[in-house]
Amino acid sequence: MIEGKVHDVRFHRYDGPRSGRAAALWSMTRWSALRALGARRGWKAKIIPIALTLTAFFPALVVLGLRALFPSSINDNLESVLPYSDYAGIVGLVILVFAVVVTPELLCPDRRDGTLALYFATAISRTDYVLGKVLAALLPLLLVTVVPLAILYAGNVLFATHPLGYVQEHTHDIVRILAAGTAMALYFAFVGLAIASLTGRRAFAIGGYLAFLIVPTIVGGILSNNIEHGDNFRLIAFAAVPIHVAESLYPVTPDVRDPSNTAWVMSWLALIAVSALVLVWRFRGDES
Amino acid sequence: MLRRDRRAGLPTVAAASPAYHGAVSATDQPLIEAAGLTKRFGGVTALNDVTADVTSPALGLLGANGAGKSTFMKAMLGLVKPDAGQVRVLGMDAAHQAREIRRSLGYMPENMCLPLGMTARDFIVHMGELRGLPRRIAVLRASEVLFQVGLEEERSRLIRTFSVGMRQRTNLAQAIVHSPSLVILDEPTNGLDPAGREEMLTLVRRLSAELEIAVIMSSHVLEDIVRTCDAVVVLREGRVAASRTLADATGASEREARVVISGDTAAFVARLQTAGLTASMRDDHVLVSGPDADTMLRAVRDAAAETDAGLHELRPAGPTLEDALIGDLT
Repeated sequence: MIEGKVHDVRFHRYDGPRSGRAAALWSMTRWSALRALGARRGWKAKIIPIALTLTAFFPALVVLGLRALFPSSINDNLESVLPYSDYAGIVGLVILVFAVVVTPELLCPDRRDGTLALYFATAISRTDYVLGKVLAALLPLLLVTVVPLAILYAGNVLFATHPLGYVQEHTHDIVRILAAGTAMALYFAFVGLAIASLTGRRAFAIGGYLAFLIVPTIVGGILSNNIEHGDNFRLIAFAAVPIHVAESLYPVTPDVRDPSNTAWVMSWLALIAVSALVLVWRFRGDES
Repeated sequence: MLRRDRRAGLPTVAAASPAYHGAVSATDQPLIEAAGLTKRFGGVTALNDVTADVTSPALGLLGANGAGKSTFMKAMLGLVKPDAGQVRVLGMDAAHQAREIRRSLGYMPENMCLPLGMTARDFIVHMGELRGLPRRIAVLRASEVLFQVGLEEERSRLIRTFSVGMRQRTNLAQAIVHSPSLVILDEPTNGLDPAGREEMLTLVRRLSAELEIAVIMSSHVLEDIVRTCDAVVVLREGRVAASRTLADATGASEREARVVISGDTAAFVARLQTAGLTASMRDDHVLVSGPDADTMLRAVRDAAAETDAGLHELRPAGPTLEDALIGDLT
């Protein structure tokens, strides 16, 4: 009879290098963003983010597609067909819905499942957790606020009579596209996370976020239209604030009834600051 | 006994019987050193002057609900700041190096804390990365620890679909994925059915016995501690009521046995005496004395067979481990 013993217990100690705080923060960002977009989850979780992302790309793809198919029918100057400054207004509602769907998914499950306590007890500080979640909200939002315009810009370059000349003349538009997209993403990320941090129930967070954006916007519109010299009531149109800030970065003439660009930017800043304070308050605690 | 070798920075396992409480030589570093640890929550004193040095590879924290077990564990992790005293973990001060301690240790909380919408594999990889493992290593180790806890086949299933026992095993896997020297388990058998509890206790014992991971486990169930640990600290109302190795906890003698039989007791006793043992009848049992446990066991077996007696109980005489620890608890 042959006797033998199995000595490999399929478990090894790891004594190699360990990564630091930045890697942990990136891990939190990466996994959170992927989960929010439905990656490694069922098709039901994927379908809405994917549909909304495609919808945000739709205007740019349609214009570029038509230009490719019917070059003679569309003016060479594609920028006049779909100006960069108008894009935020056209897909603003899509971005809003995208933010409403994605940002609660970043925080609510952690609180609902008790994973938040595990993270803080074992692996990551509260500050790192919040930073990771803000980045995780920003990355998907930049996908719908910056990338469609970047594609439109690239199309404009390709279809321009003199591509290099177009780039030289429109270098400032690259900065505007990045700044406008980042401004919108920051706003929707902070406000969405602040509202999501108030509850562990995703449905409540989505409802609260929608109510926060839409109700004041309707009220602001009614008041500004019905009260004499009430134009500044438009500033409480929280759904419109990031769009106005994005548009203010382009050299377009604003509606005479609108508050000044400075007022919109101040409103944008104030809402982001309040949202950041809410996050700090909700995740305050001993940082040791 | 598992101690850390300062030169290599790695735990080493010695074959000696577990030592505890002050038996640490100058070159050894206790896993946990608590000195005068006191923590109050309002008018309630959760920990009251707790002092203990832990060098055992598997230590049980035993106590009734509210005895201070969880607070003691949270103090080790730096999650609660003591009002007085200090606790050092792997040589680090829990009050000032909590972040390093939390990344070094493994911790399995008492309550369910798993993301139900993630697969077991993804969650374990994520926890490994958060504790400093490079991504490739985290993926490899996730497979290893899920194999160790018996979830290799279910690694791609959502945690939502797991039974309570499988969730607890996933919870244990996240605690050891980063290869900690020490893992803290807070009531790991809570809520488990008998089969799940059996599996969990076997796993916990394997951590210190085979995988070289020191264990501190809390429980209010005496059997859990006896089956998985080498030493025990008994907490009562926030104080250390007793601290001892389990080998020392019993007062039972190896040279005396208590035997309960049915049948002709006098003939049984006479047969044992003929075999050279000292045997005497007591109220409800026979007390047997002999040179060693093996000799007594053989003689009792033969005497029972020859006198046609039914053997109902045979155990070392004197107070049992359970007797001793229950005495500490009450």
